[in-house]
Amino acid sequence: MAAKKERKKTVQELEAPVVNLNVNYDTVDTEPKKERPMGREYPKSRNKMPEKQLFEFAEYHPQDAERTGYSNYSYWKSVWANFVKNKAAVTMLCVFIVLFIFTFVAEWISPYKLKELQQNNNEIFLLPSSEHWFGTTQAGKDYWVITWYATRVSIGLAAMVAVGQIVVGTIIGLIWGYVRKLDRLFTEIYNLIDNIPTIIYMTLIALMVGQSVGIMAVAMIAFGWLGTARNVRNLVFMYRDREYNLASRCLGTRLFRILFKNIFPYLISVIVLRLTLAIPGTIAYETTLSYLGLISEEYSLGILLRNSRDYFLRFPHMLVFPAIIVSIITITFYLVGNAFSDACDPRNHV
Amino acid sequence: MSEARNLQAVDFDARARQVLSQEPLLSAKDVEVTFSLRGNKLVAIRRASLDLYEGETLAIVGESGSGKSVFTKCFVGMLDKNGSITHGSIEYDGMDLTQLTEKQWLGVRGKKIAMVTQDPMTSLNPLKTIGKQIQESVELHQGLRGAAAKAETIRMLEAVGIPDPERRYKQYPHEFSGGMRQRVVIAIAVACRPQILICDEPTTALDVTIQAQILDLIRRLQKEQNMTIIYITHDLGVVANVADRVAVMYAGQVIEIGMANEVFFDPWHPYTWALLSALPQLGVKGEKLPAIDGTPPNLFNKIVGDAFAPRNKHALNIDFLEEPPMYEVTATHEVKAWLRDPRAPKVEQPNAIKLLESQDGKSKGTDPNAYHPHLDPNRQPLIEVKNMQVTFGTGRKKFVAVNDVNFTIYKGETFALVGESGSGKTTIGRALVRINPITAGEVYLEGQKINGKITKAQDLNVIRSCQMIFQDPMASLNERAKVDYIVSEGLINHHLYSSEQERQEKVQKALEEVGLLPEFSSRFPHEFSGGQRQRIGIARALIMEPKFIVADEPISALDVSIRAQVLNLLNDLKQKRGLTYMFIAHDLSVVRFISDRIAVIHKGRIVELAEAEELFLHPLHPYTQALLSAVPNPNPYLERTKKLLVYDPSIHDYSTDKPVWEEILPDHFIYGNQRELDGYRKTLGL
Repeated sequence: MAAKKERKKTVQELEAPVVNLNVNYDTVDTEPKKERPMGREYPKSRNKMPEKQLFEFAEYHPQDAERTGYSNYSYWKSVWANFVKNKAAVTMLCVFIVLFIFTFVAEWISPYKLKELQQNNNEIFLLPSSEHWFGTTQAGKDYWVITWYATRVSIGLAAMVAVGQIVVGTIIGLIWGYVRKLDRLFTEIYNLIDNIPTIIYMTLIALMVGQSVGIMAVAMIAFGWLGTARNVRNLVFMYRDREYNLASRCLGTRLFRILFKNIFPYLISVIVLRLTLAIPGTIAYETTLSYLGLISEEYSLGILLRNSRDYFLRFPHMLVFPAIIVSIITITFYLVGNAFSDACDPRNHV
Repeated sequence: MSEARNLQAVDFDARARQVLSQEPLLSAKDVEVTFSLRGNKLVAIRRASLDLYEGETLAIVGESGSGKSVFTKCFVGMLDKNGSITHGSIEYDGMDLTQLTEKQWLGVRGKKIAMVTQDPMTSLNPLKTIGKQIQESVELHQGLRGAAAKAETIRMLEAVGIPDPERRYKQYPHEFSGGMRQRVVIAIAVACRPQILICDEPTTALDVTIQAQILDLIRRLQKEQNMTIIYITHDLGVVANVADRVAVMYAGQVIEIGMANEVFFDPWHPYTWALLSALPQLGVKGEKLPAIDGTPPNLFNKIVGDAFAPRNKHALNIDFLEEPPMYEVTATHEVKAWLRDPRAPKVEQPNAIKLLESQDGKSKGTDPNAYHPHLDPNRQPLIEVKNMQVTFGTGRKKFVAVNDVNFTIYKGETFALVGESGSGKTTIGRALVRINPITAGEVYLEGQKINGKITKAQDLNVIRSCQMIFQDPMASLNERAKVDYIVSEGLINHHLYSSEQERQEKVQKALEEVGLLPEFSSRFPHEFSGGQRQRIGIARALIMEPKFIVADEPISALDVSIRAQVLNLLNDLKQKRGLTYMFIAHDLSVVRFISDRIAVIHKGRIVELAEAEELFLHPLHPYTQALLSAVPNPNPYLERTKKLLVYDPSIHDYSTDKPVWEEILPDHFIYGNQRELDGYRKTLGL
């Protein structure tokens, strides 16, 4: 009150009376108001203010005080900014996107169509030329069209399996980590599956159920979620007893809402990282399975590599083209995954 | 009462003369420290100056982010790698510390200037024995070897007050309690026989009774080894206890520096005024504390004028335009405020500052107009706890956290639960909101049993009626959800709204009620400061329209200037909505201001329960007495002459005479056996 009165008077400089500074806090307006979004209008320089006024009490605005500590840091913006800084990863990501689009375009720009390819004994094992850009196969078919189609199949399979593994792994991992009663059960299931080499399961399924891509994809998901689930479970342990989860329990929030609103968002960076690494992993695995003859697809990168093994010393183009594409995909996801995980680490947000 | 102590009163005038006659031992001039963070420049220290004189204890006070730690880290060359000194000099022993190479630092750091850090849990190596760690320091800095080094180490352990040093020498850090570990850390620092010892919040992580012992220890070592000590803290009670001189820091600058008596009783910076008058020790129960609005400034932004101006209720126009220079108040007292300029209006200090000198550790009274539930003959019980027991673990690892606890909380009162860390106070709070299951006993809400098996409707009713406010505002909000979701979580769970619009209205109303802008609802928690986040947490609990709120140390993680805001808010809501609180705390000075009745808990048992003033005037249980004697008082004269009592649980002999929970006076309960109860009655004159 006293301060307010003083403001109206012009201060008589040195002879100013002693001011009682005790503010009556009940009369101070502590309710912040919407009307002054920009806060106080500050004079920009002291020249615009007479010296007398300089030493008068200024008006007090609680909402200005409320604004003093504001920070505009955003986690995902910083992640993106850091990721973009990694030139190698960004370049490779662009290369991969072009490559993926090209798997659709390649057949269209080529004079040969996949569906019309026929055995042609006159043109077997032709080296790359202006007519057959990637050469031909042992059956005399155009290798360009086949390679790009195989790439598309492999990427599609890898994406499907990777997403499947991560989704299943994350859901199981969340429940495994959060619900104490189920911890023992899931641990035993994990041990049971993990202690037998996966290749044995895959062989059994291929021989007993079938060797189509669909069946093998399901099988790869069924045994591939383990790593993600365990990783997620360990992370959930970290977040489970944080105070904000206790607060949610206090408010009576249901289990699934807690899992997906309170815990899942903290795991996104790890999940995306695992996803990016699962794609090249699946392509490599698919190659292995094809090589062992457990997948009976006509064309995929793995099948092409297997088929080329008998001829590649004499006809290296059979191996080189699919190998280059597999390398590009693997290197891309490896670099992107690493760059992303670095970008997600808050300690690097400097 | 195994040990009592009486300190000499300090003669600050003599100290002041001593300071004036000396050349400074260490002199920092216009130091500027810049950090590069997330691509931005952050100026953490904005041209701060400081002189340190031999043999004195200088306390640096400030809130988090004021730069007090960073400033002193410059003196030992331990800035984080993304920070650098961009301006100024630090003169010490004929050297400029800002220019030293890492090799030259080895001769200064530890040897001449040593540091004790805040957290004793992380500053020791868990894989090495205590003895080895101290001996390392002894060998490195005193040049002793073998048996001689070991003997010196054991002498050091003894010197810092660790009993049975021969045996302790061979033990690992996990075998030591927090207070004991801090003693070890001090021993390591002091083993180098440094000239200057920097203590960075050495007692913040410790309980009050342990804190007082550590402060005592540092004082004794200072005298024995003739050290100069810089003491960094945010606790004005600690400052009053240790400091000869006090420097107040705000937003990277020293804004007021002077002898302790000058800064406490004759401060001239509005920030110092605000800090001192916001102390709950000076508050009148039932009235508002003079809080400081807002939060310390964000140092990423360029600061124009006086950094405190936007929060300053006595700001001058010039404060917003130009940075004030240092004005001399006395030869030893300087202040950086335009109010000291001859052209400024003549002012008097606020009343609260005048109160401080007469501060005698007694209550500042209560507001007779406010509602005091303990005086109401018709008070109704809201929560009743009978023989509550909470245990953790099973079989051999079983641990009884809360043992046979009985109390009643009445409608409209603030019931405080006070105890040290690990005493079980948080466990009781969590048991009441049913986060921790109760092993034995009963809890009643308005006469209805709420533990064990209850119907679904009753369960919902309990959730709505009992809510909780958490200690750490940084951990208690979901960082990845918007404020809108966080506040309305309870509404969504129980469908307490009929339309989306109604939900939003309720959220806005709740935010306004805790003094936040409604536009905040679309932001994420990380955009807010600690005090604002704590208010979001309060809004989240309030929206359920509860009758009873468990406040688990709601202000202990907050800065001093912000505590009063939250205390005022809690008191306000209590009056407006007729809320009942259980206020869990370890700081008795706060509890006295805010609560109607206080329960003191020790090792899972409530040992004494009484009306707040009654407890402070007639503490009966020796543990209560020890706790009260350790409460820091923001008056340097009183704080330095106070008697410290130490509680020794072995004085209770409960082997034959079993203890009981007895109402010794109306509304004054105590835990003891018949012989002790007779003793207590005698003291009360019954």
